Order: sequence, then structure tokens, then C-alpha cells
Amino acid sequence: MDGSGDLAFPALVAARLLLAFAPLPDALKYDQQLSSPLTSYSRLREGIYLFQHGIDPYSGGAFRHSPSLLSLFSTVLPLTPYTSPILWTAADAVAAWALVRIWRLRTGAKETSRDGQIAALYLLNPYIFLPSLALSTSSIESMLCLLAVMFACRGRASAALFALACLVQLSLPAVLLAAPIILLTVTRPVSRLALPQPYHAQWKRIIPLLAEFVGYTALLTFASTVVCGNWLWVEKTWGATLTLPDLTPNPGLWWYFFTEMFDHFRPFFLMVFSVHLLIYIAPLCIKFQHDFLYATFLLLGVQALFKPYPTLSDPGLFLSMFSIFPEIYPYLRHPIVTALIHLHASLLLPLFNSLWLRQGTGNANFFYASTLVFGMGNGAALMDAIWAGLRVAVGELKEGYEVAQE
Amino acid sequence: MWWRGCWKSCFVLALHLVAASAQGELFDEDLTLRPLRDGRLEARFSFTTLLKGASPRDPESLRQDDEAQHYTLFPLALGQILREHAVTELHLTLNAGKWNYDHWGYPDEPGVGTGAELWAWMGDTSLTSVDQRWQGLRQSLAGLFCASLGHLDDQRTTSPTLTFQPEGSLPNFTYPHQLRHATLPSEHVCTENLTPFLKLLPCKSLSGIAHLLNPHRVFDADWHGLGVHVRYRERIGVEVRLAFQAVLDPVRYSHDGRRDWSLRSVFDRIVEKACPVARSSKVQVELPGETSYTLSPGPTDVVNDMATYELTSAQEALDVAMKWPGENSFVYPDTSQVPPLTDISVRRNLKGASQAEARLTIEVTNNLPVQVKSGYLETMPWHLQFYLHTLRAYIDDSQRDDLVTILSYAPPVPHSRPALLQAVLTLPPRSTLRLTMDVSKPFLRYTEHPPDAQRGWDLPPAVLVPFAFGEDDSPEFETSASHEANSTWTQEREPYPRRPSRARRIYTPVMLVDLATPDFSMPYNVIIMSCTLIALIFGSVFNLLTRRFVVVRVDSDPATPDVNSVGGVADSVGGTGAAKKTS
Repeated sequence: MDGSGDLAFPALVAARLLLAFAPLPDALKYDQQLSSPLTSYSRLREGIYLFQHGIDPYSGGAFRHSPSLLSLFSTVLPLTPYTSPILWTAADAVAAWALVRIWRLRTGAKETSRDGQIAALYLLNPYIFLPSLALSTSSIESMLCLLAVMFACRGRASAALFALACLVQLSLPAVLLAAPIILLTVTRPVSRLALPQPYHAQWKRIIPLLAEFVGYTALLTFASTVVCGNWLWVEKTWGATLTLPDLTPNPGLWWYFFTEMFDHFRPFFLMVFSVHLLIYIAPLCIKFQHDFLYATFLLLGVQALFKPYPTLSDPGLFLSMFSIFPEIYPYLRHPIVTALIHLHASLLLPLFNSLWLRQGTGNANFFYASTLVFGMGNGAALMDAIWAGLRVAVGELKEGYEVAQE
Repeated sequence: MWWRGCWKSCFVLALHLVAASAQGELFDEDLTLRPLRDGRLEARFSFTTLLKGASPRDPESLRQDDEAQHYTLFPLALGQILREHAVTELHLTLNAGKWNYDHWGYPDEPGVGTGAELWAWMGDTSLTSVDQRWQGLRQSLAGLFCASLGHLDDQRTTSPTLTFQPEGSLPNFTYPHQLRHATLPSEHVCTENLTPFLKLLPCKSLSGIAHLLNPHRVFDADWHGLGVHVRYRERIGVEVRLAFQAVLDPVRYSHDGRRDWSLRSVFDRIVEKACPVARSSKVQVELPGETSYTLSPGPTDVVNDMATYELTSAQEALDVAMKWPGENSFVYPDTSQVPPLTDISVRRNLKGASQAEARLTIEVTNNLPVQVKSGYLETMPWHLQFYLHTLRAYIDDSQRDDLVTILSYAPPVPHSRPALLQAVLTLPPRSTLRLTMDVSKPFLRYTEHPPDAQRGWDLPPAVLVPFAFGEDDSPEFETSASHEANSTWTQEREPYPRRPSRARRIYTPVMLVDLATPDFSMPYNVIIMSCTLIALIFGSVFNLLTRRFVVVRVDSDPATPDVNSVGGVADSVGGTGAAKKTS
């Protein structure tokens, strides 16, 4: 796949495949941190079952996957206990390969010594392989996201925009990435963090690309509507990310907030939370106009933090992408604190979830508190990344000098 | 002077009777008493009022004023509700307790699901929608019977037409009829429901068999429930049947553990006098198969092991008593030895300790030596959501998915609509079919939880309707079944024909689902803490993005610390190499 000749990549994929066929995944099937109502494998199977038995799966409230997944898995790729682990491992392998390709495009090298390391950081990241073992469709979303970024880095605009349009079909918040990915296609992915230069917008190239993206999205939307025969799916899939009808716990910040929300404030706060996600696009793209790959990376971090139905693979994708920016490592502000908060949260999340829902010795506040800690950890990672990305430009300092903000 | 008053009252009474007969209102009441094999006594009160020649209101006429309603025997309060919402057929039951089919057999009143159950057939016109009238109907009935029927809202309403077929006939309107059905298992029947129920009777509880409905006793029964059944009988009229059914335990009431009972001992009342406006008024006692009992007083007549007492106005007070003189204390039958009295036995339970998902198991045992087909209905509120793709059928641990045929399924919609699952189960002879299905438990908004949220949610009973016995009505079924019946003492006197004209419903016990609860004291705290975190991250990100990076000199020169503290300014975008400038 990577043509490097070394055995690291195939070995990693083989190890993942072995894990996927271990008896462990059954226990993970319903884990709320690994799959949200929008990405759950059981619900996907239920939707396919209903679809194949002539019942509109979007007439109920359990199935919230995109019609494209429904048509794909009910026709071309049937989901069985044997095919599913292979498909999900393949999705992870493709994603890891895309990440390695992005790294090579960024360094401009054909092959580097860190290739295997980057693939390993993706494939062995527990935030990524656990959702994949649970067969959460968030693995497919991560794959599409990395493919879109990779094609954008290679300058293959159509492929990148099509992958992004597919991703938006699966998960509406991914529309945040449209701006940086379009801008990435018209620039080069090489690291310019240390040499910031203003970007002069080539509107003549950007506007057609935007139109192309809108066109792909419209096409896929139309195709989905044809598959379903009606527009109900829009409300059930995209609508769910805006109105949060299913309050199943997840590692994000939305579910408990809207469980506890007063009914008359619910629409207002839903609007605030949705619009809040949009606020980050322009400032991050403007500040990192010299390196849109980095802006994409930061927006993935924002999404992992604030998206309505996150799973662990969203922060996992953000953390694994740290591996392709080695130039920022020396400048991370509080890497140890961030790592410790993450460690703390990743231990607390499953523990408190189980205490609340299985043991019955804890209550909802336990899990809520751990999601707050997890949010802190992700926020700290995001702030570290922003700080380091800006700090690189100042470069090494002599003894007795420090960087501060005005 | 006294004779004038007497004459007057006689005249008024006669006028009433004439009026009643002239308008074609007939009132019949009967009480059926059935000793059960576990020593209990089933009492079924049935009060039937027939409005001869009447027909249900055509919903098309809802715009116009209704014709005047003058009833003498027919309950006006109920009649007004029926006319107001143009209801063709109505069944309301309010029950408490779990009907033990295995030991008590099929109930005389088929609607024995725990809690409230309401179903109605209504003509469907575009004038006012069925759902609007259904809402009005349940609210009117809630007011009439002092029951929380208003909770039977859209979150509980389904239309399971296969199981709840009309019991009367449907008038020949020019448009179809629609069914609305809802159950509320957490509703309990109590004295406050019985009082309005008795008010609907022409004699209230002053005379006739209704006098026996002593709230202190009937609500102390092991099982009790009341029902209101309205149906239209073509070319006969509209019939309202008020029913009360109770399973009383004479063994519990007696001091020495005997099952002897009398009206006085179980109801603490006797029938003092007959209801004067009743066309017929009778007490029926089903005679047990064994001969060692005595029944007093002597019945009016005995037909098919059914002793009947006709109540007439001339009669003096009646206290029926049944005694087993040769029996010192009642010996309960060994539950493992006696065969169940119904064709099929059902158990349903929810397994799993998690508050997020569980597994629903239904075990249906066919007690007959022939194959039985049974309808299976689940009307599940969205508080339990099925994963239908995980539905598996097992017979003795071997998977037999072919025995389940799903006829229709409407998936639930959170916060609005229940699931409706209608299936047909094929039950091989003398075997137990076990169905398992994974279910998920949703998470509710904090305002959606009831005040006692930790108690959980009552889920309505599933309904099974055995409808086809034997392979294509094979003749050997009859012989084997009757042979089977002879081996037990109650089955041979079962008052029902073996193959009833109407399929009988079997209700499973209700279930309780434990849903995860949020902390109800937390709304402000959650809003404050979540918003703080978001504001913190938002603020930090924008702080990093908007403020310029500067290089400061931190080496301690005590003379000029302030001057040197801002050593140089570098724009993070444009000012590459700013650090060099400052050095």
C-alpha cells in the first residue's frame, strides 16, 4: 500500500484485524463513548433490517444514519459478522494510509523514516481503534475526512470535494471543514508555520470549487432522497445534529446540557450551540492563512470538542493528526498537563459511565463531570496546538527572553 | 290523604316503566360467580342497557346540532360523550392486579390488562379528525370516571386493528372506521372510579346486584377491575355494558382456612331487593365438578353446571352460599402438578442490569397437543425501543426464526409515538417458544420524568390471541383436546366452546423499565458549568488568535525592569525573526 517495502504497515493492519475478530467487540457494541446514536452499528443494522422489510427506517426515531450508508450496506456490502470487522479495519487502514500520504506531501519526501510511526499512531490510538472495534460508523467518517484532506493536499480538488461531500452526508458538522479544505486545494500543504506569509485569495479558483462542493452535496442529497423516496431522512439525520432529539450520553458537551435544559430555553440554546461551532472557521482560517492544513487540523479539534454527537474517534482523529506536525512539538505550552488531563478523563469516562448506568452506585453527574474533564483535556490540546502553531514563527529564543502575548 | 300520595308515587313509577318500555330501553343485570381451583372466587357483574333502534352518530353530522337525548335507563352522561365524539364502539377497562391465566382460566371479561385500557372505533371523516375526537373522548371519560385517562395521549396511542376487532357491528357509513387504542398500565382502579361507575346504573347501588359492590370488599380483592363496553348491534340498537370483575379470596377471609363462601362473607352485603326497572336480574353460580359441595338456597334452575337465581321484586333478600362440608381447610393445588387452564401460557420479562440497554424475553408455552397459531401484539411506548433485527425465536435452545412472522411494525418516535409490533407466532404442540430481542432504553429530558422517577416506567402488557388450533383444523384435534380436558377437573366445565367464535385475548403482566435519571437538582449547575467550559475554551482560543506575540526579556536587571520588560514587538504573521531583532 505504501510501497515502502517495510513491514510495519501490513503488520499493523494485520494486528488490527486480529483484534477486530477477537471476542471483545461484542462487549463494546453498545458502549456510549464509542458509538453515538448517529454512528451506532446496532442502529445501522436495525435501519437496514427495516429498509429490507419494506418499512421506512426514517419513520421511526432509532435510525439516524445517512441514506448513503443505508443503500451501500443493504446492497453492495452486506454487513455480516465476518464482513463488518474487515470493512471497518479496511476503513482504518485507508485512513492511516491517507494520513501517511498527507505527511509525505507535507514534508515533500517520497518516503520518510516516520511513515510507520504515523501509521501506528493512527491505527493503535485507542480513541480510534476502540470505536472501530465497536463498528461505529465514525471510523468511516474519519476515513472520509482524511481522504478529503489528502486529496486536497495533492491538489486533486474534485476528489477532495467529493470525499468531503460524502462526509457531510454522514455528519453535518463536517461542513465546517469546507472552507479550509477548499483553500488547501489551492495552496500547498508544506509547513509554513515558521514562515508565515499572507495569503492572497485567488477567488477565481475558490468560487468554482465552492460551487463544485455545493453541487456534489446537492447531488448526493438528491440521490439519498431517491433512495428513501421522501425527505424524512433530512430531519432524522441532519436535523438530529441541530435539534438533539436523542439524549444518549456521549463524551461531548451537548447531551447533559439539553437533558437538563428548561423546555422554553431549548430552541435558543440549540441555536447558540450550533452557531457557536461556526464562529471558529473564519478566525482560524485567517490566522493560519499561510498553512491551511494546520487550520483544518485545528478545526477538527474544535469539532471534536463541540460537535453534537461526538464519539471518541473525533478527538482521536485530532490527537493522531498531531503526528504530522512535528515542528510544533518543542513549542507546546503545557504538553504534560494536557496529556495528564487526557489520561485522567479517559480513565474516568468508562468508569463513571459504568458506575452510573450499570453498577447503579453513581449518578448522571459522575459521567457529566468526566465529560467536562474530557472537554477540558480536548480544549487544552486545542489551545496547545494553537499556541504552538503561532509560537513556531517566533523561533528559538536566547537565554533570558520569553514569548508572551501583548 | 295517604292513599293519594301512594297513588301518586305508583303512578309515577308506572309512568317510568311505560316510558322505559316505550323508548325501547332494556336493562339486564347478572352476576356470575365462579369458584376457581385455587380456592378463589371470580365474581363478574354485568349491567347491560340496550337502547333499541338507536344507532351511533354519524361523524358527518357533527357540524349540525345533535338530536335531543332523553333516556330513562341509558346512562345520559355516557350517552352524551358517545354522541359528542361520534363514537361507534368503545371499550374502557380499569384493572388492578395480575390475572393468573394458568389457574383462573380465561376471564369472563376479556379485558384484564393491568391499568387502564381504552379503545374505540370511530368513523373517519375529514370533518373532524379521528385523533381530535379521540383526544376529546379520553378527556371526557377521564372527567366522567375520575381516572387519568388524559395521559393516554399520542405517546401511547396506536391502531392495532388485527387484535382489537370490533365486537359489535360497524354502521354502514360512507367512509371507513378507524381504531384508536391506548393503555396506561400505571393507572389504578379505586373507589373514586367506582362511584361514577355506579352512578351510571339506573338503580345505582341501592338495589339489585349492584348493591353487592361494596368498595371495602371489592377493592380488597386479589384482582379487580371495571369495564365499560359500548357497541352497536345492527338492527337491534346501541348496547352499553358496564362490567365489574373481581377475584376474591374466601380462604383469606375465613378464620379456619376454608373456602366456603357466601355473598355475605365475600361482599359483606346481600341482595336485598331486585332492581325494579331491570328486565332480568339473575345470579349465576358455576358449579364445581366435584360433588362434595352444598349450595344454598336452592337455585331457580340448573343448566350445564350453571345454577341460576332469578331475582324478582317479590323475592326476599338473597344470600347465595357455597360450602364444602367435608373439607376442613382448603388445600392449595400443587402448581407444578395441575395443568394450566388456558391454551397458551405467556411470560414476558426484561433482562439486563444496564440502564441503557436490555433484552426482552417472551416465553409462550403451547399447552395443547396440537399446533397453535397466535397473534402477538406489542404496543410499546418509546421508553423501550426494539432492535427488531435481533429478534430470535428458540425452541429448546435451537433457533427457529421461521416460527415468527412479523405482520406490521411501526417504529417508535422519541417524545411522540409508540412502537406497534404485530406478529404471528406458530407454536408447535406442547412446546415453549422463546423470543428474545435486544432493546434500548432512551434517555429522557429531565422534564419528561414523572415525579417519582426512580420507580421506573410501567410498560403496557403484550397481547396474545391464539386463533388457529391444529394443522388446518385437523379432526384429531377435537378428540385429543377433549381427552386432555377430561384429565383435569375444571377444563371440562369450561363455559366456553373449545373453539370460540371470537378469538380470546391473553394479556401478559405489565413490565417495569428502569430508565436512567439525570440529577433533577442540577439544571442551573449544568448550564453554568457547561457554559463556563465553553466560554473558557472560546475565550482562550480567541485570546491566542487575536493578541500579538511579543518577546519579552525576563533576565533580572533590577535597575530597569520595567523598561526592558517589553523588549520588542513582533507580529506573529509578518514579524518573522522578531526574536533576532530584540536580541
